[in-house]
Amino acid sequence: MTTIQQPRILGPGVNRVDGPLKVTGQARYPNDFSLPGMAFAAVVRSTIPSGRITRLDTTAAGKSAGVLEVITHENADHLDEAPATFIKNPQAPLQNDVIRYYGQYIAVVVADTQQNATAAADLIEVEYERREALLDPHDPRAERIKDPWGEDTAWGDVRTALKRAPVMIDQTYTTSDNTNNPLGLFTTLAAWDGDTLTLHDSNQWPNMVQLVVSSMFGVPKDAVRVLTPFVGGGFGAGLRCWSHIPLAVMAARHVGRPVKLELTRPEMFTGLGHRTSSVNWLKLGATRDGRLTAIEHESLTTLPMDGDEYEPCSSVSTWSYASPNVTTRDQQVRLNIPWTNFMRAPGDSQGNFALESAIDELAWEVGLDPLEIRLLNYAEVDPKTGRPWSSNALRQCLEVGARRFGWSQRNPEIGSMRDGHELIGYGVAGVSFFWYQQPCAARVIVRGDGSAYVRSAVTDIGTGTYTIMAQLAAQLLGLDVEQVEMQLGDTEMPAGTAAGGSGLTAALGSAVHDACGRLIQKFVELAKTDPFSPLADVPYEQVEVSEGRLYRRGEPTRGESLARILAVHGLDEMAADGDSTPNSPDELGMTPAGARGARFVEVRIDEDLGRIRLARIVTVNDGGRILNEKLARSQILGGTVGGIGMALFEDTVTDMDTGRIANATFGDYLIPVNADVPDVHIEFVGEPDAFNPIGVKGIGEIGLVGVAPAIANAIFHATGKRIRSLPITLDEVMG
Amino acid sequence: MREFRYERPSTVAEAISAVAGDPDADFLAGGTTEVDLMKDGVFHPDLLVDITRLPLRGVRKNGTMLQVGALTTMEELAADRTLIERAPFVREALLLGASTQLRNMATIGGNLLQRTRCRYFRDPAVPACNKREPGSGCEAVASVARMHAILGASRDCIALHASDLAVALVALDAVVHLQSEDGERTVPLTQFYLMPGDTPNRENVLRHGELITAIDLPLPPEGIRSTYLKVRDRASYEFALTSAAVALTMDGSVITEARIAMGGVGTIPWRGFEAEEVLRNAPATPDAFRSAAEGMIHDPYVVPGTAFKVELAKRTLVRALTEVTS
Ligand SMILES: Cc1cc2nc3c(=O)[nH]c(=O)nc-3n(C[C@H](O)[C@H](O)[C@H](O)COP(=O)(O)OP(=O)(O)OC[C@H]3O[C@@H](n4cnc5c(N)ncnc54)[C@H](O)[C@@H]3O)c2cc1C
Ligand code: SF4
Repeated sequence: MTTIQQPRILGPGVNRVDGPLKVTGQARYPNDFSLPGMAFAAVVRSTIPSGRITRLDTTAAGKSAGVLEVITHENADHLDEAPATFIKNPQAPLQNDVIRYYGQYIAVVVADTQQNATAAADLIEVEYERREALLDPHDPRAERIKDPWGEDTAWGDVRTALKRAPVMIDQTYTTSDNTNNPLGLFTTLAAWDGDTLTLHDSNQWPNMVQLVVSSMFGVPKDAVRVLTPFVGGGFGAGLRCWSHIPLAVMAARHVGRPVKLELTRPEMFTGLGHRTSSVNWLKLGATRDGRLTAIEHESLTTLPMDGDEYEPCSSVSTWSYASPNVTTRDQQVRLNIPWTNFMRAPGDSQGNFALESAIDELAWEVGLDPLEIRLLNYAEVDPKTGRPWSSNALRQCLEVGARRFGWSQRNPEIGSMRDGHELIGYGVAGVSFFWYQQPCAARVIVRGDGSAYVRSAVTDIGTGTYTIMAQLAAQLLGLDVEQVEMQLGDTEMPAGTAAGGSGLTAALGSAVHDACGRLIQKFVELAKTDPFSPLADVPYEQVEVSEGRLYRRGEPTRGESLARILAVHGLDEMAADGDSTPNSPDELGMTPAGARGARFVEVRIDEDLGRIRLARIVTVNDGGRILNEKLARSQILGGTVGGIGMALFEDTVTDMDTGRIANATFGDYLIPVNADVPDVHIEFVGEPDAFNPIGVKGIGEIGLVGVAPAIANAIFHATGKRIRSLPITLDEVMG
Repeated sequence: MREFRYERPSTVAEAISAVAGDPDADFLAGGTTEVDLMKDGVFHPDLLVDITRLPLRGVRKNGTMLQVGALTTMEELAADRTLIERAPFVREALLLGASTQLRNMATIGGNLLQRTRCRYFRDPAVPACNKREPGSGCEAVASVARMHAILGASRDCIALHASDLAVALVALDAVVHLQSEDGERTVPLTQFYLMPGDTPNRENVLRHGELITAIDLPLPPEGIRSTYLKVRDRASYEFALTSAAVALTMDGSVITEARIAMGGVGTIPWRGFEAEEVLRNAPATPDAFRSAAEGMIHDPYVVPGTAFKVELAKRTLVRALTEVTS
């Protein structure tokens, strides 16, 4: 009764359980909440990248219609330190006059309406003493942090191997700053009641917000309740407790009323972090027949003056392909920029672009088919430790994808395929995604009528957590999905982890699995105390569950329903807590493998105008056991669109003289529109993963990874132009 | 709240006198430019005079002229039968612009008066912008400028006139009808826009309180071959990097009459008189097209971000000409 018996793909077409709530507007997002007596806040941001505030005049703002309070560093509450939660959280805002980046909060205005708050915010006058800002990652004066996470890796002897390699690729690949841009504007509605605080807040990790806010405001953790049952997307933007949250909390304390602070789109560009640009220096050594003998991957990414970030771009080179000699090194450089932060597939998306471009260059260099070279260097075991993988279907991803795509139709000659003015190119990329899991807890409760509900403080950022966890609990308790109610996004529920790192399904799913197992055990034990129960003398190991009934294996009639057991014992409901901690690779003797994937892309390039059109994409992924194929497809499709954005459009531009983000609107920051997204064929391969009891590997991020190099590789095939920096635009491709 | 007054007069005369009587008053049509820039803090009118209920809406054929009321929406004009038959490139220019939602709001008069998309113009936190604050300098010249002009530009301002419709209409020799307290006048669209020079804040000949009431589109002869080709980074819902409006009359393989204008390149919608001259009575050959393109794009003013547009614009025109003649 402890492992799941269901097939590889569970519930191929189960609809979102929260779908009806969402399409009828009943799902309430943080900005949908209003409270009696609520006031509204508007932030003021700095317009220099570095320096000090010398004068801040709030007189006019203070007198403006409806204004209740103006808070600046001169009258802000002193707040305690913000604890780190895996990574750092921004320290309390408005604690001094120092400016570290353009867009830093320097004041917050609270008024009776949003319009009054916004209008008054414009009346605040600021003077600065400007200091020279560091904005260029290559500025020699900027602080460089080497091996920031102690994850630099080396095995074998790369230097010698490169010297001896008959074939070598030595290139630099760069990616641009990107901004997460979840559609929902991040909002905090803060309400104090004496010393207890309730927050309706947009985030991806309610327990993190609870911990940080309670520490900053010096109240017990339990005095802060964070509610995030729904959030309008995150893409990583909600993984830290950003400064607007304590600002709203502070404002609510100052005015003695609930305060709502909703960021504007431009504020979302500076206030929630962004994906760091990256420089990747890559050297590959290989034999003449294309077998890798050495990989050296170094990366440089950016950091704000007062933050940290985990963005190990070079890591992909330690697990993607078999090579006897590998060195990876990451470096970060501190600049006067808004915070860099996780964005869907941090590190991997940039590093994979570099590695998969370089592998492609190697294929051309040795005259091998780009698909073949990937299969040739497939890592049968973890190349670093020699241990077996918990599962790895990269080979199958490549092979199945090639078949679906019709890769064999490709004429290997550059520029050999065309249709009128358009040059046709085929490109491929492999993806080996990182593995990540954190501890998590859940409670499962069966009610007197035999239905169940599941509770956890984690949130569903739109990926489908509500649905797949309902399916999983239903499967484990032998119920229909409709009989399981999910309750998420409330810190009064069992503590959960982040909806991030593609790790929530494994973490929460394992906790639900654990809770269901314990609950069934409690039922069996309870039944034992009833001499009339058909299960009285059946050992737990022999109990099976289906259709809400426990019965002896092989003897379906010898059993009793969960509802009846509760009734017999006069109980309204019975609950069990479950938790999960990631297994240890050492104990299991295997390396946990994240999801794997392959991308095949056909591009059409206008040979005169350089216009880049995607004709079709095939994306095949190994996510271990797929809990809901419909939702899994949505994740991959959304990821693919994100990948197209990264490849061709997304570029957060910083003005080099002021540090201002120059394109902080949806008019100027381009993301793909429907017309840019071609037909996308999505397929899943692989087997349940051996590393967690439910056999899953997260697939929230992998869809994005590999799209950019597959496009770049296809552009090379079409035009002979090797573009090593993202995004790729038509002026670079024009003949 | 940022307060302003709002009026919705029912006659043209009232609307004109309401704006004329207040130096800080603006007309409000579809609002897709005006309200946007108010929200961004660039415009601060103290009076908005809503003209959307004035009887200036609709398209009428009058002999060889198509008379378009200034308040006709972009979608309405694009659906007009005569336009579709006689000047399909104007329809293409309309439908390749903005999005359906915007085109349902946006008016033809407002479209001609839309303001530049220059990011530095649109953010009042940027101190240097000659268009917004005369004499303050130009931030864009030294920054990452991709969506900017290469013709008619100078270090004082490289802002693009981003209207697609206006490009097609200057090619067509459209005429703008204006009305003010001083009476009515007409101005050819080719003379309506002002080159920025050192006063980029002055964009056209319109005086304060003067209303565009209608636009006359002279219908080209039947049987023209035309296109509006728009090149941009993404496939829809974006302004042009380069665009070309081309309308040719052909006799066999010889071009007898040519109308050419380009967008995405000029500080004003750029009419190609020289290119037209090159093509008039020329055979439709790649060489002729290339010479026309050279005649179209000369003496560009480029910054690093816009340098690619010189060649791209030429190729855009060559492609448009190739398409309509093949
Ligand atoms: C996201 C976005 C994308 C867009 N993409 C494109 C595109 O690809 N191509 C394109 O061509 N355009 C595009 N536009 C611009 C859009 O077409 C214009 O904003 C619109 O046509 C303006 O018309 P309106 O009626 O909304 O004008 P309003 O915003 O109401 O007015 C614009 C200006 O003209 C004045 N005005 C309006 N009517 C008159 C009149 N009759 N007489 C005198 N003054 C008047 C107003 O006072 C105001 O200053 C885009 C706009 C947006 C917001
Ligand atoms: S290009 Fe023109 S509109 Fe843009 S900043 Fe310069 S002066 Fe202002």
